[in-house]
Amino acid sequence: MINLGLNYLNSLSVYVPEALALVVMVGLVFLEATYNHNEKRRMTNYFSLLGLLSVAIVLFLNLSLEPTTAFFNAVTIDPFSTLMKLMMTLGTMGAIYLNSVTKEINLNTKNEFNILVIGVLIGGMILSSANNMLTLYVGVETLSILSYVLASLKRSNEMSSEAGLKYSLYGGVSAGLMLFGLSHIFGVFGTIQFTGLVDQLNQLNLNQTLVLIPSFLLFFVGLGYKIACVPFHMWSPDVYEGSPLPVTTFFSIVPKLAGITAVMRISMIFLGGEGLFSTSIVGLLVIVSALTMTVGNVTAIGQQSVKRMLAYSSISHAGFMLMGVVVLGQEGVSAISYYSMVYVFMTLVAFYVVGFVSDHYGNDDFNRFNGLIKRNPLMAILLTVSMLSLSGIPPLGGFVAKFNILSAAVNNKFYTLAFIGGLNSVVSLYYYIKIVRYMVFNDEESTDSISGFNPLNKTVLVALSLPIFIFGIKWSGFLAITEKAVISIF
Amino acid sequence: MHRLLDYILWLPLLGALLILFIPSQKKDLIRWSALGTTLLTFILTVLLYLGFDESVAGMQEQFSVKFPWIEQFNIFYSLGVDGISLPMILLTGLLCFLCVLSSWTVEKSVKAYFALFLMLECSVMGVFLSMDFFLFYVFWEVMLIPMFFLIGVWGGENREYAAIKFFLYTFAGSVLMLVGMIALYFLSGKNVDSFNILALQGGKFSNEILNVFGTTLSFSKFFFVMLFIGFAIKVPVFPFHTWLPHAHVQAPTAVSVILAGVLLKMGTYGFLRIAFPIFPEASVYFKEAIAWLGLVNIIYGALCAMAQTDVKKLIAYSSVSHMGFVMVGLAAMTIQGTNGAVLQMFNHGTSTAMMFLMIGILYERSHHRWIVRPDGTKGFGGLYTQLPVFSVIFIISMFASMGLPGLSGFISEALIFLGIYQEFTTITVLAVVGLLIGAAYLLWMFKRMFFGEVIDSVKNYSDMNAREIFYMIPLCVAVVVFGIYPSPILNIMKASVGSLVELLGRFQ
Repeated sequence: MINLGLNYLNSLSVYVPEALALVVMVGLVFLEATYNHNEKRRMTNYFSLLGLLSVAIVLFLNLSLEPTTAFFNAVTIDPFSTLMKLMMTLGTMGAIYLNSVTKEINLNTKNEFNILVIGVLIGGMILSSANNMLTLYVGVETLSILSYVLASLKRSNEMSSEAGLKYSLYGGVSAGLMLFGLSHIFGVFGTIQFTGLVDQLNQLNLNQTLVLIPSFLLFFVGLGYKIACVPFHMWSPDVYEGSPLPVTTFFSIVPKLAGITAVMRISMIFLGGEGLFSTSIVGLLVIVSALTMTVGNVTAIGQQSVKRMLAYSSISHAGFMLMGVVVLGQEGVSAISYYSMVYVFMTLVAFYVVGFVSDHYGNDDFNRFNGLIKRNPLMAILLTVSMLSLSGIPPLGGFVAKFNILSAAVNNKFYTLAFIGGLNSVVSLYYYIKIVRYMVFNDEESTDSISGFNPLNKTVLVALSLPIFIFGIKWSGFLAITEKAVISIF
Repeated sequence: MHRLLDYILWLPLLGALLILFIPSQKKDLIRWSALGTTLLTFILTVLLYLGFDESVAGMQEQFSVKFPWIEQFNIFYSLGVDGISLPMILLTGLLCFLCVLSSWTVEKSVKAYFALFLMLECSVMGVFLSMDFFLFYVFWEVMLIPMFFLIGVWGGENREYAAIKFFLYTFAGSVLMLVGMIALYFLSGKNVDSFNILALQGGKFSNEILNVFGTTLSFSKFFFVMLFIGFAIKVPVFPFHTWLPHAHVQAPTAVSVILAGVLLKMGTYGFLRIAFPIFPEASVYFKEAIAWLGLVNIIYGALCAMAQTDVKKLIAYSSVSHMGFVMVGLAAMTIQGTNGAVLQMFNHGTSTAMMFLMIGILYERSHHRWIVRPDGTKGFGGLYTQLPVFSVIFIISMFASMGLPGLSGFISEALIFLGIYQEFTTITVLAVVGLLIGAAYLLWMFKRMFFGEVIDSVKNYSDMNAREIFYMIPLCVAVVVFGIYPSPILNIMKASVGSLVELLGRFQ
C-alpha cells in the first residue's frame, strides 16, 4: 500500500506540467464562478497566460529529464513528448492571446474559451505521452469532446454550430472504430501495454498478422482523424471555417501536434519490425502521406476564404509530417520535432494577421487583404514571411523543416515520396503567394488601417515571427535540442 | 583583404538594411545610398580581380572563407572564387551599379525598390561565391523573393502573371535540385565534405545505382537530369523557356538587365560548377543531347525573336538564342568551347544589358515598345534623325549583340564555333544559320525603328541626358575593349576552365 502511494507520488513528480495545467483550468472555473468584475475577461486572460507560461517553463526544464514511465507504465515521459507538449502549450498561449485581442468570440464576461482550450491541451498532453491503449483512448477522447464544444463556441452563428455538430459526428464514429480496432489488438497481444509489444510483434504467426492488419487500420482511423490526414480529412475544412478564428488557430496546432506525436509513438512501437505487418502498414502510410499532401494542397488552391485556405494547407502540412513518420527511427522523430517547432510559429503568425484583418472587416476573403502593405506594412511583411516560410523558401524556418523531413526520407530511400513532397512545395507556393499578391500587388480598397493593432500587438507579432528567422538561419542549436530529445528515446 | 569575399557578399545586404532605416520621403538619400553601396561593391570586385592569381585553378585556394554553419549536417559557410566565377562576379558588380543609375527615375515606393534590389545583388553574389552546395541552394532560392516583388510591383501591365510564373517555374526547378542535393549528401557518406561542391567533384558516383519509381537507374544519370532541369529552367533551355519572355517584358528596366545579364548565367554557371564536375560521366553521356537542345535554343529563339513586334520581347528571345550558344559551347567539353561559353556568358551579359538599358531609355520617352502596333501602324520611325546619340549607342549594342567582328560578341562566338566544330559538325553548321537569323532580326528591327519616315510621336522625344550617357559608357567601353582584346577575361578563366575540361576529358 505504501509502495503504491510512493509510486504515485513519484509519478506525480514527473507529471507536474499536466497537473499544473489542470490547476490552471480548475482555477479558471473557480474564477468564472465566483469573481464578478468588469475587468474579469482581462483578469482571466492574464491568469491563463501566466499559468500556461509556468507550464511551458516546467516543460522546458523537463526537456533534460531522462525518459521514464509513470503510473505503472500508463504514461511515458520522454524528451520527445515533452518537446511536443511544450510546442502545444505555446500554441495554446498564442490562441488565448489572439482570442483576447480579437472580438470574434464576444461572450461578454464568460471565459469558456480559455477553460476549454486548456482542457484540450491537457488531453493532448495525455495523448502524447500515452503508453497503453487506455491512456491513449482517454487522451483522444479528452481532446475530442472538448473540441466539439470549442467548434460551436459562437453559439448564435449557424456555421459554428454546424461545425460543432459535424466535428462530433465524425469524431464519434472514428472513436468507435478506433475502440473496435484497439479491442482486437488487445485480443492479439493479450495486453494493453505498449511496452514490450515489440518483442511480441516479431513472433506473430500469419493468422495473428492477418487479424492485426485490419485492426491496426481501424485504430489508425481514430488518430488519422485527429491529424486530418486523407481520407479522414473531410470534416476539417468545414470545421476550421465554421469555428471562430482563435479556435481554428488552436485546432490547426494542438490536436494536430498531439495526433502526430501519438502516430509517431505508435509507429515506433508497431512498425519497427521487418515482417509482413510493418511493411504493409508502412506502404500504406506512404500512400496516405502522399495523398494528404497532395489533396490538401490542390484543394487549397481554389479557396476564397483565407481561413479555409489555411485549413487545407494545414492538412498538407500534416501530410508532410507523416513523411517523417514513415521514415521512422531517430531521423524521422527529430525531423518531426523540428517541423512542429517551426509550424507552431508560422501558423500563429499567419492566423494572427488574418485574425486582425477579419476582425476589422467581419470576414476574411482574399479581397480584404488588398493593398495591406500600404496600410499596415508590418502586418503584410510578416504575413509574407510566414507564407514564404510555409511554402519552404530559405532562409526561413519552414525551409529547414522541410529540408529535415526530405533528407530523412531520402536517406531511407523513399525517393518517390521525397519527390512528391518537393513538388507539393511548389504547388503550395502558388496559393501561399496568392495572398501575398493581394497584399502587395493589388491596390487598396480603402485607406483605413486595421483597428486594434496597437504597439503591444505589434510587439507580439514581431516576437512570434522572430523564431521563423532564427529557425531558418541559426538552426544548429534547435537541431541539437531535437536530436537530444530523440537520442534518449532510442 | 583576406575577407574580401565576405565584404562583397554582405555589403549589398548591409546597404539594404541601411535603406530600411531611411524615412521613405527622403528619396534622393535612398538613391544615393543605393548608388554608394553598389559602387563600393563594384570597387571591391575590381580589387578582387586585381588581386586574383590567374595561375590557380581551384576555388578554395585564394580568398576562400570557411566556417561551420550547421555542424549536424556538415554545412559550412564557405566562399571561394575561381576563374569561372570571377567574370560573373565582376559582371554582377558592374551591372548592379549601372542599374541603380538607370533606376533613378523610379518613383513608386523608392525605398522598397532599392532595398529589394540590393537584396537581389547580395543573393546573386552569394550564388557565384558559394563553395557549399547548401549555401548555394539557399542563395539560389533567396534570389527569387526580391525578383518576385521587383517584377510584381514595379513591372508592366501583366506583371502579376509574369511574377508568379517566374517564381513557380524557378522554384519547381530548384526543388528538383534540392532532392538531388540531399541524395548526394547521403550517398557521399554524410561527412564534412558532403556539401562541399569541390569535394563532390570528380565522378565519385559513377557506379551507384538507384531504385526509384519502381525501376533501377544509374544514380548519376538520374540526378544529372534532375540538376539539369533545375539549371535549364534558369538558362532557360528549350522547352523550359516559356517564363522568360513574360518576365522580361513585364519587369522594370533594371530588373530586366539583371535578369538577362546575370540571372540567366546562373543557370549555365550551375552546369559548370555543379552538374558537370559532379557527374562528369553523365554529362559526357548526355553531351550530344545538350548540344542539340542548345541548337534548338539558337534557332528557335532567333525565329521567335524575328516574329516579335514588341522590341523588349524581341531582345528577350534573342537572349534565349544567345544562351543557346553557351549551351552548345559547354556541351562540346573542349578547351575552346568552354572558354568561349564562359566568355559568351560575360559578353552576353554586357551586350544584352546594353540592349535592355537602351530600350528602357526609349520607353521612358515613348511609354510603349511596339515596333509595329497591334493595329498595324508603326510604333517608331526615323529615330535616327531625331535621337543621334541614342542611335549611335544603340548601334554599338546591337552590333555587339549580333557578334560583329571587333565587338565582344564575335570573339566568344568564334571561340565556341572553334570548340564545337570537331565534336558536332552538323550542329556547327546549323548554328551558323542561327547567327544569320540573329543578324536578320536585329537589322530588320533597326530598320523599322530608326530609319524611314519620322512619325509624329517621335518628334518630341529628347535625346539621352548626361546620366543616361554616363551609365552607358562603361558598357560601350567593355564591348569594344573585350572585342579587340579579350585576354583580361580569357586569362583569368584559363586555369579553371582547363582543369574542368581535363576532368571531363577523363570520362570521354
